[in-house]
Amino acid sequence: MKLLKPSWVNHNGKPIFSVDIHPDGTKFATGGQGEDSGKVVIWNMAPVLREEDERNENIPKLLCQMDNHLACVNCVRWSNNGLYLASGGDDKLVMVWKRAAFIGPSTVFGSSSKLANVEQWRCVMILRNHTGDVMDVAWSPHDVWLASCSVDNTIVIWNARKFPEIVMTLKGHTGLVKGLTWDPVGKYIASQADDRSLKVWRTMDWQLETNITKPFSECGGTTHVLRLSWSPDGQYLVSAHAMNNSGPTAQIIERDGWKTNMDFVGHRKAVTVVKFNPKIFKKKQKNGSTPKPSCPYCCCAVGSKDRSLSVWLTSLKRPLVVIHDLFDKSIMDITWTLNGLGLLVCSMDGTVAFLDFSQDELGDPLNEEEKNAIHQNIYGKSLAITMESQLSSTIIENPEMLKYQQERQGNQNPNEAQGIGPENQTPKLTNVLNGESLEDIRKNLLKKQVETRTADGRRRITPLCIAQLDTADFLPALFNSVPILPGSSASTQLTPQISSDSSTANSLGLRPSHDPTTTSPNKTAEDNKDSGTAAVNSIGMKSNLLLTSASKIEPMKALDSRFTERSKAMPGVTSVPLTIGITPLDRVKDSSSVKEPKGKDETSSDSEDKIMVKSIAKRKGEMEGAEVVEKRKKGRPRKDAKTMPFPQVTFLLSKDAWISKSTDGAFSEGGFTVSTDGVTYLEVENEVSVVSGSRLSQLKWSREGREWDVLLPSRIIIAAGSSNVVAVACEDRTLSVFTACGRRLIPSIILPVPMSALHCSGHFVMALTASAMLSVWDVQKQTALVKNESLNPILSGTDATVSQSFLTQQGVAVVSLSNGKTYCFNSSLETWNLIADKQDSLVQCTDFRNCVSAQDALGSMGPLALTQGRNLSAGRLASRLSSTPHHLQQGMTLAFLEKQLSSALILLSASEYRHWLLIYARFLVNEGEAVREGQCHCSQG
Amino acid sequence: MAKVQVLNVAVLDNPSPFGNPFQFEVTFECMEDLPEDLEWKIIYVGSAESEEHDQTLDSVLVGPVPAGRHMFVFQADAPNTALIPESDAVGVTVVLITCTYRGQEFIRIGYYVNNEYTDTELRENPPLKPDYGQLQRNILASNPRVTRFHINWEGCAEKMEDSENVDPAPNSMLPPSCTPGKAPPLGLLPDNSMDCL
Repeated sequence: MKLLKPSWVNHNGKPIFSVDIHPDGTKFATGGQGEDSGKVVIWNMAPVLREEDERNENIPKLLCQMDNHLACVNCVRWSNNGLYLASGGDDKLVMVWKRAAFIGPSTVFGSSSKLANVEQWRCVMILRNHTGDVMDVAWSPHDVWLASCSVDNTIVIWNARKFPEIVMTLKGHTGLVKGLTWDPVGKYIASQADDRSLKVWRTMDWQLETNITKPFSECGGTTHVLRLSWSPDGQYLVSAHAMNNSGPTAQIIERDGWKTNMDFVGHRKAVTVVKFNPKIFKKKQKNGSTPKPSCPYCCCAVGSKDRSLSVWLTSLKRPLVVIHDLFDKSIMDITWTLNGLGLLVCSMDGTVAFLDFSQDELGDPLNEEEKNAIHQNIYGKSLAITMESQLSSTIIENPEMLKYQQERQGNQNPNEAQGIGPENQTPKLTNVLNGESLEDIRKNLLKKQVETRTADGRRRITPLCIAQLDTADFLPALFNSVPILPGSSASTQLTPQISSDSSTANSLGLRPSHDPTTTSPNKTAEDNKDSGTAAVNSIGMKSNLLLTSASKIEPMKALDSRFTERSKAMPGVTSVPLTIGITPLDRVKDSSSVKEPKGKDETSSDSEDKIMVKSIAKRKGEMEGAEVVEKRKKGRPRKDAKTMPFPQVTFLLSKDAWISKSTDGAFSEGGFTVSTDGVTYLEVENEVSVVSGSRLSQLKWSREGREWDVLLPSRIIIAAGSSNVVAVACEDRTLSVFTACGRRLIPSIILPVPMSALHCSGHFVMALTASAMLSVWDVQKQTALVKNESLNPILSGTDATVSQSFLTQQGVAVVSLSNGKTYCFNSSLETWNLIADKQDSLVQCTDFRNCVSAQDALGSMGPLALTQGRNLSAGRLASRLSSTPHHLQQGMTLAFLEKQLSSALILLSASEYRHWLLIYARFLVNEGEAVREGQCHCSQG
Repeated sequence: MAKVQVLNVAVLDNPSPFGNPFQFEVTFECMEDLPEDLEWKIIYVGSAESEEHDQTLDSVLVGPVPAGRHMFVFQADAPNTALIPESDAVGVTVVLITCTYRGQEFIRIGYYVNNEYTDTELRENPPLKPDYGQLQRNILASNPRVTRFHINWEGCAEKMEDSENVDPAPNSMLPPSCTPGKAPPLGLLPDNSMDCL
């Protein structure tokens, strides 16, 4: 073990409360007190790791300093994907930081020191909710949520996909909450507070799972933080400050039954922080010794107010190492490098220490696959295939892979750009605007800038926008996470899922930004492009899991002899039959990505249906699902067709209520009665059994404990559901429709060609076939709203493909193309109507900002907003880039608003119609358009 | 946290005759769309002795301000010489640029200004009554003094939270390149003054 105290890591002598190493290991962040504000500093890791880098003056040590927090920063945490940094402080705020690309080093204006920030980290989100100091923040596995806890006794779970949305506020602690840790499996979050309790909360319903008080009954609230930690195998939770026989300990809590029989003892004062090594280790094989299988074990670092640090291996009874007098004051935070061999510790005395272990000391870290195998054995699902999406999310976690994917993504950008139009290409800093260099602009700025007089005669200057901010990543909520239409698969979240074979690459165009968070699933999909490997991988992994099912986690041994009870060995690995997969339907349904062949012959030539498979395993009656994205090739026998017989099981799941939940508000007239917490699952299992040569497929539906299933004679390709109906398309070109109670509504509908996309909304079912024919039925009234309408009118003359389709609640079919145009089919006129065009120059030149009232500022929610997305505001910005004459801009705005109105009308989207009508009316009033105003009154009447 | 960060202020037309308008090219960055305009002011400090002689040369509204990086040129007429005490016309004084949002000042940028005669004769024997036609104004552009204040960006001044108020930092400054004596202290700080860079 090597020990280093890099003296250059300091906050000018002010305390450092938190430290966290970036997942890619190249930098780390510290948080603490600044001069008269809170301070977050990002440091270069290389000078810590290598002496020659420390001496090399060309290698920067400090990368970025942020003084934005108004008061002391208590916690800094990198997101698992490394893209974001969250910080929480005494100013009650949680800030989320992102590196600003394309902006080089800069100095702070007016600052006497000419020290430039090497990297630019920008606060992209401020999360306000806590009414007291924020003590700890924690990203959930896969960065789905961000949790923060505070001295206001609450824990807030933020939706990390849709900041600043709050998923839940966990109330129950009666004292200052000072530490948080997520279960690595994602099932729980644990918190420790000054109220002498440690609480474990379920992430499924955010209710209290258990409340542990006994080990803390003697504790006084004397520590600044109580940072607890969960072991990487998920089996043990270790608390900060606990007491045993009047001695300070770190309490070990077993996941199994939340037993508290063991603890780490030895520290003389309260334990402030516990941090598990992210790796699971196995014994280093000695040369010459017979390779005997050893049990994997975990490693844990414990820091205390007594200023000492101890590092424990769960395979040893005694600590591996104890370091005294490392600091002058209490240890505040500990962080491990991702490879598990390095450790940074920070202290209230304002210094940090780095410990470097060798593999001889800690053991051989298991690779991700082995770690996943352990998870799989214990929980029936592996971390790698939990949540989100795909097979390779473990890889996504790995920043190097992410970088690779970004590069890859970069290479594809040209492809996409042509489909998007100019406004999306580089919303970043450019030095050339409208063909002018920044220098030219500066020369003429005074003459060119728009200056007007306000009503009270004051000068008003419209500033020239020289760069838009790349803060979009959190904003395009619509595209990121909000499914829009109940039951229909409208969710644009799907778009990222759209597979991109060369011919469909353009379909990615709908995505609003190239932000890696939103696109990572997508990129994975791209990575899997040669789906041969994908399928092979998935199979490979599974077999691997079975093979290693013999391995177990070594139980904790490192215990004080006062407690003789040895934990029993891990309950033998119940080898779980890998049942089935499930996928959130809302993600999958569209994954079929409606590849539109131009001629019927090409039917599904190379469209790839990506089907997400969620494997379920049951253990002790618990269901823990995991999803895997699988790709399926249909049609065209390619040479990798041998990989086609992917596991017999294909699962689709619909989180129906999840959809309707978010739309209940927006579509209050919809009459949805789906309870907000009811989640509907739709599972598909193909080839569930083989009866006398024929293969049966099964569709399962469940919501809040109620469930039904139905058998179908052919493989199910697509399923979709709303709260009223469930529709299933099979390989034999039949379409079956069931009520939400499982009764078959109509005999199978025979389709001329295979189904490409299927959506349900209310009582409406929409089908898009591989021959580009659209049908919409009202299954309640048993009428056809749209009858085999060809998409040729909108597809002809373009190379565009269908990138997205959905059905509104009123049964209006909407189809978006990869060229940015979106159409809906009006069944009364029997015409295709263009409702949105991303390249429309009107969109880019409108300016109706002044007419948007505060409550409308967030924009409207509905099908129109869904198709147009964020470009609307981008357009408003763009208007400032070109100094268009006022009357022209007025005309364009008017034309645009009228377009919006008619589009909302044709989509039967009442709330959006109202939204645009209000803006339109205000605009007319502002601009004094008397003639149209009259008309507006009429239409409003 | 401040939603608006001033990235740079370039002093244009400097040095220039005393009667020329002031021109500042301001570059700032905004974190998110601002629902209201920013108000910028140029204040000329006529005399170090008293605030009475401060002249607001001009104030402009700047908006709309969407998220992003923006620039504009703020031009304001030269100070009214009638309001400047004759004894303070020549020598070092200060010009301030302030920006307020919803009536709350969040940044104050101060520049030292040196007014002197270009003519050696006049410089050595300045007339009793200042000859403004001969005066040259030289703004020490390289040495801005920036004071930032925490304000409540979400609402108006009254709702300002206490926690965001931090004790004012003592702020006395004299530019190293300037002859002390007449130089007035920059910035009469409001109570919620925060960080002086």
